[in-house]
Amino acid sequence: MNEHESLIPPETLAQVGKIEAETVVGDITAIGAQRYAQAVGDLNPAYFDEVAATAAGYRGLAAPPTYVQYALVRGRPLGDIREDGLFKGNSGLRLRVQRTMFGGEEWDFLEPVCVGDRITASSCLVGLDEKWGSKGPFVRITRETTYTNQLGRVVARARQIGIAR
Amino acid sequence: MIRAQMYLEDVAVGTELPVVVRNAGRVQLFLYSAATWNPHRIHYDVEYARFEGHTDVIVHGPLQGAWLSQYVTDWAGPLGRILNLSWQNRASALPEHDYEFRGTVESIDADVVSLRVWEQSMDAAILMPGEAKVRLPRRQ
Repeated sequence: MNEHESLIPPETLAQVGKIEAETVVGDITAIGAQRYAQAVGDLNPAYFDEVAATAAGYRGLAAPPTYVQYALVRGRPLGDIREDGLFKGNSGLRLRVQRTMFGGEEWDFLEPVCVGDRITASSCLVGLDEKWGSKGPFVRITRETTYTNQLGRVVARARQIGIAR
Repeated sequence: MIRAQMYLEDVAVGTELPVVVRNAGRVQLFLYSAATWNPHRIHYDVEYARFEGHTDVIVHGPLQGAWLSQYVTDWAGPLGRILNLSWQNRASALPEHDYEFRGTVESIDADVVSLRVWEQSMDAAILMPGEAKVRLPRRQ
């Protein structure tokens, strides 16, 4: 890489602010939410016991707050998965980097998500920032996803941070 | 299971949340990959993880985020509501290692309590700093 060349090609920078990919729709099921909660090790009764969930003020069985993003993950055929296990062409972003790491998340939980909800999600690339760290230059990629339920109410917003270098 | 309820009257600026220790085994990493449809090899293939420069398979960043979410919701109790949560994954966590979750009350605005929360290694290196806001009920 040229020392002065940005990691972000201009045509990639032009994608900031644009809606990415198509809208995704998914149903919140008890089996999916409970498998997630069990895998996390979070046995909150509001996720497993309808009486406890109702007593806690939920409309029905609640889903763990961060589960909603996984309820909407679409599987891929094996041929669409790379040797490292990542999805081919997943980000659609062309950057002059080797690798992208998960950097964190920022969530606004606006309303509880419950079993039986139908959630629609749309994602937008909201930031591409080139920075310098102890290991050299990197790009901070921020995507925001808005989750809306079947009543048209926004239930959550998540900003996912990727660190590409 | 009876879960304790935290009330607004129970907290003040500076209140420390009880420390919770988490430790993921390899089976948990597998189940989390499966439950989230995440095929990334760095979470189950040691040889591949080493090829990418890790010493072992690594704990998923979002799993640690989910632990942080649980840390906050367990503390808040059944009637509490988590309103915001953010975290940064600064360093990798390894399976079969203990990690501490800690937190303090930073401010209180009406019934909304702002927390500083984080995950640290047993030698006090911060892996994952974060912030959260929760709404707590008042005692009747």
